[in-house]
Amino acid sequence: MPSPVRDASRPRGGVPRPDTAWADWWAGTRRVDLWSTLAWYDIVLRYRRSLLGPLWITLSMGVLLLGMGPLYAGLFDVPLKRFLPHLALGIIFWHFFSTTLSDGCQVFIGASAFLKQGAVPRSVFVWRSLTRQLIFLAHHVVLYVPVAIWSGLPCSPRMFLVIPGLVVAMVNLHALSITLGFLSARFRDVPNIVTSSLQLLMFLTPVFWFPEKLPERSRFILYNPLAQLLDILRLPLMSDSPAAGTVWFLLYFTTLNIAVAAYLYRTCRRQVVYWV
Amino acid sequence: MALIALENVAVSYPIFGADAASLKTTLTSAATGGRIGRDTGVTVIEALRDVSFELRDGDRLGLMGHNGAGKSTLLQTLAGVYPPTRGRYCHEGSIASLVNPVLGIEREATGYENIMIRGLVLGMNRLTIRQLTPDIAEFSGLGDYLHMPVHTYSTGMMMRLAFAITTSVRPDILLMDEWLSVGDAEFRKRAEERITSLVAASGILVLASHSASLIARECNRVIELSHGAIIRDEACPVREAASQS
Repeated sequence: MPSPVRDASRPRGGVPRPDTAWADWWAGTRRVDLWSTLAWYDIVLRYRRSLLGPLWITLSMGVLLLGMGPLYAGLFDVPLKRFLPHLALGIIFWHFFSTTLSDGCQVFIGASAFLKQGAVPRSVFVWRSLTRQLIFLAHHVVLYVPVAIWSGLPCSPRMFLVIPGLVVAMVNLHALSITLGFLSARFRDVPNIVTSSLQLLMFLTPVFWFPEKLPERSRFILYNPLAQLLDILRLPLMSDSPAAGTVWFLLYFTTLNIAVAAYLYRTCRRQVVYWV
Repeated sequence: MALIALENVAVSYPIFGADAASLKTTLTSAATGGRIGRDTGVTVIEALRDVSFELRDGDRLGLMGHNGAGKSTLLQTLAGVYPPTRGRYCHEGSIASLVNPVLGIEREATGYENIMIRGLVLGMNRLTIRQLTPDIAEFSGLGDYLHMPVHTYSTGMMMRLAFAITTSVRPDILLMDEWLSVGDAEFRKRAEERITSLVAASGILVLASHSASLIARECNRVIELSHGAIIRDEACPVREAASQS
């Protein structure tokens, strides 16, 4: 006995089924308890059986900085007091970018067990990855405090510019994780492409070296988005301000980035379960 | 109030990394389930075709069909995992899926942590989960094992935990793939009691099984699938004495 079926997008009572991409994204974003717990367990479970636990995150970065600082200060012939803060922030933020992007490739592939349990909003897994990487960043960034004190960097209100910088970085990393997550689930070559590109990009980005040492004709390599994102995070913390060009560049890049992510979210969020 | 309504639902999905033209896939399509079509070079499995039915409070549907006929895909579609490619599906009421309850159990986490994770995935909030945790712990009968990482559990224990969490909130709609096959006699008895009480409390049960006698015992309607399409849909009288046991 066939009977009329009501519009699936508007069930009577209960939570409306997230039928539009925006509704799905927002439904996932609102599940703070879910993605923060998943991210937290990711960290806790990883270090559960180690003696020092998450302290290892800070410790291994500290060892890297102490080892590389004097060596590269000598190689580049720059005083260590000037080089170390530059290097510390460079490596810390680069590590944040690169792990977030390579992790971003796995957001849906790694969530296969959850996606096949029921209808879970897709953005939950993007937030989970981003939160996990933010926890790592928090463990790393504390190292900058002793470095800044030792180098005698002046404190200035400009440092607070890092907050809008961080917001811009988060927006871009979130959008890139969505893009890379869907593309990687569909085309399994993408994670490999991203990993190898990031390796190259690390040397094309002023992580170690000073951008002003670059010859005029090679300046164009600074126009890679990650170098620009690094600028808006690093310069404020060194009591400097990013150039106007950086702000304009990032404005265009962020818009494009969000547009691509939104398009993929709209077209892929249903099919992704078949791909993982 | 529980309701499930499907209208001309079709589910087809692409399989990447399979050679659509190979002889093997052509042969297996004859032997097993869904129709394997060819669509722009990618193998597309047509797992469900033109499936329509409606279930209301108290309905207990038995799904039959040979391996790969689409039973599990249909259950997964009802659970919201697979969005219909064509047609419409809507439901009212909360859904609990026991299709693959062990899926998503975090092996490194303890039993208690898994209760939290699974509860959150099921859409509960932290407070509700904390309130339900004693009940879940008691029902699972795992005692102090709940403080241990799940990888120390046996399959049966993992099943107990997963079942206890999934059925802890009274779902309106219960989806099952075969009857509980894991667990000892004592746990199975309690699990059966819980399922019976869930279904009795005005819910919907959808049970996929190969056992005609099980379906005859538990269900009041039976749908048989073949190659992703419904080939039989009829009411079957429940033997009251048997269903109450």
